[in-house]
Amino acid sequence: MTLFDVIFQGNDAVYGLTEKAVDDAIAKYGADKKVGFPGTAYSIPCYYAVTGTKVGTLGELKDALAVVKTLMTREAKLNDALMSGVATALLAEFIEVLKYIDNDTPYEAPYTGHLPDPVIRELGVPLVTGDIPGVPVIIGAAPTAEEGAALVKSYQEQGQLVTLVGGIIDQCAEQKVKMGANVRVIPLGKDITAVAHVVSVAIRAALIFGNIKPGDAAGLMAYTKERVPAFVNAFAPLNEVIVAAGAGAIALGFPVITNEDTFAVPECLIPKVPVEKMNAASLEARNIKIKITKVDIPVSFGSAFEGEIVRRGDMQVEFDGSRVDCCELVHMKDPSEVEDHAFELIGPDFDEFPVGSKQSIAYVVEVAGKNMQADFEPVFERKFHSYLNCIEGLMHTGQRDMIRIRISKDTFNAGFRAKDLAEVLYTQIKNEFAAVVDKCQVKIYTKPEDCTRIRHEIAIPMFDKRDERLSSMTDEAVDVYYSCIMCQAFSPSHVCIVTPERLGLCGAVSWFDAKATHELDPNGPCQVVTKERPIDERIGEYEDVNEAVKKFSQGALDDVSLYSIMEKPMTSCGCFECICGIEPFSNGVCIANREYAGQTPLGMTFSELASMTGGGVQTPGFMGHGKHFIASKKFMKAEGGIARIVWMPKDLKDQVADAVNKTAKELYGIDNFCDMIADETVTTDPEELVAWLTEKGHPALSMDPMM
Amino acid sequence: MAFRPYTIEELEAATNRLLETGAKVGADSYQSRLKNQTPHCGFGEKGICCRICRMGPCRITPKAPRGICGCDAHGIVGRNFLRFVAGGAATHSDHGRSICYTLYNAKPDGPYTVKDPEKLIRIAKEWGVETEGKDIYDLAHEVAYMAMEEYGKVFGTQRWLSRAPEHTRELWHKADIEPRAIDREISCSMHMTHMGNSSLPEALIRQSLRAGLSDGWGGSMAGTEFSDVLFGTPKPVDTSANLGVMVEENVNIVVHGHDPALSELVCDYAEDPEMIELAKSVGAKGITVSGVCCTSNEVAMRRGIPMAGNFLQQENVVLTGACEAIVVDVQCIFPALGPLSKCFHTKFITTSPIARMPDSDFIEFDVDDADKQAKLIVETAVRNFKNRKPELVHIPQLKTKATVGYSVEAIKKQLNVVTNSQVDELDTLQPLVDCITSGVIRGCVAMVGCNNPRVRPDTAHIGLMKKLIENDILIVASGCSAQAAARVGLMDKEAREICGTGLKTVCELADIPPVLHMGSCVDISRMCVLVADLAKQAGCNISQLPVVGCAPEWMSEKAVSIGNYVVATGIDTFLGVEPGVSGSDQITGLLTGGIRDWVEAAYTFEPDIDKLGDKMIERIEEKRKSLGI
Repeated sequence: MTLFDVIFQGNDAVYGLTEKAVDDAIAKYGADKKVGFPGTAYSIPCYYAVTGTKVGTLGELKDALAVVKTLMTREAKLNDALMSGVATALLAEFIEVLKYIDNDTPYEAPYTGHLPDPVIRELGVPLVTGDIPGVPVIIGAAPTAEEGAALVKSYQEQGQLVTLVGGIIDQCAEQKVKMGANVRVIPLGKDITAVAHVVSVAIRAALIFGNIKPGDAAGLMAYTKERVPAFVNAFAPLNEVIVAAGAGAIALGFPVITNEDTFAVPECLIPKVPVEKMNAASLEARNIKIKITKVDIPVSFGSAFEGEIVRRGDMQVEFDGSRVDCCELVHMKDPSEVEDHAFELIGPDFDEFPVGSKQSIAYVVEVAGKNMQADFEPVFERKFHSYLNCIEGLMHTGQRDMIRIRISKDTFNAGFRAKDLAEVLYTQIKNEFAAVVDKCQVKIYTKPEDCTRIRHEIAIPMFDKRDERLSSMTDEAVDVYYSCIMCQAFSPSHVCIVTPERLGLCGAVSWFDAKATHELDPNGPCQVVTKERPIDERIGEYEDVNEAVKKFSQGALDDVSLYSIMEKPMTSCGCFECICGIEPFSNGVCIANREYAGQTPLGMTFSELASMTGGGVQTPGFMGHGKHFIASKKFMKAEGGIARIVWMPKDLKDQVADAVNKTAKELYGIDNFCDMIADETVTTDPEELVAWLTEKGHPALSMDPMM
Repeated sequence: MAFRPYTIEELEAATNRLLETGAKVGADSYQSRLKNQTPHCGFGEKGICCRICRMGPCRITPKAPRGICGCDAHGIVGRNFLRFVAGGAATHSDHGRSICYTLYNAKPDGPYTVKDPEKLIRIAKEWGVETEGKDIYDLAHEVAYMAMEEYGKVFGTQRWLSRAPEHTRELWHKADIEPRAIDREISCSMHMTHMGNSSLPEALIRQSLRAGLSDGWGGSMAGTEFSDVLFGTPKPVDTSANLGVMVEENVNIVVHGHDPALSELVCDYAEDPEMIELAKSVGAKGITVSGVCCTSNEVAMRRGIPMAGNFLQQENVVLTGACEAIVVDVQCIFPALGPLSKCFHTKFITTSPIARMPDSDFIEFDVDDADKQAKLIVETAVRNFKNRKPELVHIPQLKTKATVGYSVEAIKKQLNVVTNSQVDELDTLQPLVDCITSGVIRGCVAMVGCNNPRVRPDTAHIGLMKKLIENDILIVASGCSAQAAARVGLMDKEAREICGTGLKTVCELADIPPVLHMGSCVDISRMCVLVADLAKQAGCNISQLPVVGCAPEWMSEKAVSIGNYVVATGIDTFLGVEPGVSGSDQITGLLTGGIRDWVEAAYTFEPDIDKLGDKMIERIEEKRKSLGI
């Protein structure tokens, strides 16, 4: 049989199954029964993206089947084969969505099934920075469980986001491979149709970050091909349904690499690849480059371990800054004071602590370099969290003197000691900041009295000094801002303008970060933007900023304001931590953060709100932003500032309360302003919200109308 | 802006504008001469006019079914056909011989050097010549001498036949059509067709295949291979095409013909600072060399010299009024260029004793002093700039981008970009085999041959190519067909946008245009090597490959010789112009069917271009079906 015949046959088979499943569901629930995936504004995503039509009921799903049928043409041409592949993926999504009727959680651990929008928004940054270099989709069972697990681990060690479908999941479980989003191994489901969930991720990335209009199938396929680094590893034996699904993957630009002896299509379908060569062959086929960070420590090191959790029972030792004196510090020194790669341990090593004990630690990284500036100290320091978490079996949380580190027994037993922690810090600082760091040495203190002294006599005064500088850092106090286009790999027309009082909307790039990024790589993603020719100070519009935005968005945007959400608001890439949108009844705005899954008074979830903007498009009334921006005096300053905030989820409110209250006091003289901001425990109903706000005397109610 | 190829109407509008200039100066044109020659002689059309002896001429009618000697229509048609083939084979092969002779005279400090020593060593090894420790020029002379011996060897068959797959060689042996010495096959053809020799259709057609093979797997192959040794094996190079490549402010030299030897040196001198200085001193900004016909293909493939046009554009370049010199070597040169050039300031410079014409300046090419002649030619052109008549100058602003230079070696190298180093071998045709086997590409068509005013110029070439690439069929092209493609933009990599999804994907991945320029008309020998390698790589016979050949607008004897060796190699060949055999159902039957028993391929004659395209696609799909792919 020819390759295309196999694809057509697989596609026909899936069509038959889907048609029957939809008909059965209609017979059981009726055509008006609601269908959809939870946590997405694009339901049902793949079909919506390809056709531009949303499906909400079984009846509409039946109509959609007829549309899918039109894709299933049968001329022996690649176009027909690819479109039949796309049709197969859409049909798989139909079968999957039926599982969600009257059940938000048809998948049980370890299976994940559908992945909601916020997960994708969170993936945006690591994908663009190359932190997640690729997305392998592994289908079927490897010849042996050992080989399968080894392949999955090989991807995991490279920091790839591994998704699994079918027999490989049992193989991983058998081989005790840790699975879960936090370790970047996602078991989607047992059936081949579960592959629709990762296709859905790729497709929603195009809608969220790429501003691809639903229905623009060609634009969609070009986006996924160019910007989503996914690929398929399918294990023999391949049946016609897998081959048909594979054609769908190829249509989206994802090569299929298999150990099966089948047809070859250069760079698209690569057969007869031994399992041990699949990793290398796949990376080459998808043109994925792995940044190699070889750190000489006794355990693995890689971004895949960043989200790993060390539980109390598995813990060898813990350093807890909330209970005892701890701190982490980067300190700029004179070159004569630093000996490159020197390490000093002052106090006992990890093997001298009782198992499961709580200890003090202070690690000080001293750096020197001709181009080093004190302003970079906190920039490096904020990276420690990520560096240390990449160590297998080590968990790091917090920052400054409020850190907590846990080291697992396995890692300790592998020989991990203080010198290894120092080695990680040294290697990573030198790797990443070579442009400004000529010399670097690490000192680790583990005696409680040293830690107390360092914390209170050195660290805290330094932190205070930095905070003072930071608080004096206003937009007015600096001569330049920075552009950040780190996300353009994903969102080709978005530009962030980063100012001291407005960090990047992803929350990851402060003005200092942008400055450091610029100095480290002068031709890189962050460029100096002058602000010498103001147009309108009220909304924060400058001729030079506009010119920069126009240039860096390749002409997609003409003008932006820095301080308004109604007039020329800044665009979003889609990676934003929070979204705020106007709430017309109260004359204010509601904010939702990515982690919040519930409803807002706007009648929309975070995902639905987020879908209103993103992709580098200006949407007055909606704005993506970082969490820390909420307490900024420049937060929608043009519309009156934070006094407009009428609602945000409780968790978010708790996180930002101190800072917001402080700003409100300074701006308006209001004490405990957060107590006037409603949350989901108060209401998600707009009328009740207004009543509650009236009762609290919220300032927004008496402000000028926003619209 | 989205890619759009030029339309035939746009090309014709440019020609019509130039013809207005022609009318102004009282110039003649092929269009007007065609009118004078229409209708053509009906007996000639059918091939039933015999002028071989002076008892005649005889022509066959229902009332006179035999000539004076008693030869019937089948014998007359067959003899005419064989003589036609012999003419073509002689022409290509003599061109090849001239290249061998140039190589024989190559020296490190002479006008001709060995630019691709690796290829020379490869050929030497193929021929069993000891290469170790040998001076490259000694080796060049030895191999060139051996190559020239192929023309007159007393015993044995052509050396290059060993490049064909085993099965093909067996077929040739069984059919008794393995070509012996090249000159012998041509002599033998002339002998067989002399008064009182063969009139048996089968014998005449057998010899026509053998004479064709002596060209494709003999003389033409020598021409291609040793041109590569002398001037470099083509690799992808960007250039431009259509009349707009001529530059009004510059001295324009147009090279035309087939043999690259002299034009290579003309190109060298056009880049010479001394000559450029001279050009500036006469008021020009610089010197532009562009090409017409196959000389153009040769210098485009190897050095990116722009292509002004194909066969039927040769008068147009003069009609621009901006052509300082049209320099010709051999073949396909209109004698009309002499009188036409006299209507303008253009120097018509002939260079070969093979192609002497009235109203031309003859600067004879001589291998030892070729640099002096090339310099003289460039200087003559430059000094002629001041004689331009500005009121007559008009260069149509049609210009396309083209990537050319796809020798077999270059194709294999290019395919490396789609291999996966973990599992694939490099420098093979396997990726192409995979694309064909999986159906992503349905097959390949070799588009070749001339223009012919019998067909609205270039419509067949371009119409067919567009249709084929829309249907995911990859095209390799040579000669004037390749130039037709380049002229409208089909050799621009952007042309993938008008391909079917399969071919478009392949073009994108492999970074190639959908129409691959493989060279001049002798370079159809490259296509023979390509299919031979493809069959070996795929593990099947050449005749099983979903590959066909097509010459939709052919006109010359060379084209029929080519057709014969392509068919004899096992590739079904589709002609848009019938080769003058309709007067004999036996000859027609052999060519379109009977020879399939010998060589597993045959001709299809179809003047309806649309049907011709359908038939090719149909044949390709049939072949796929029988392979089960």
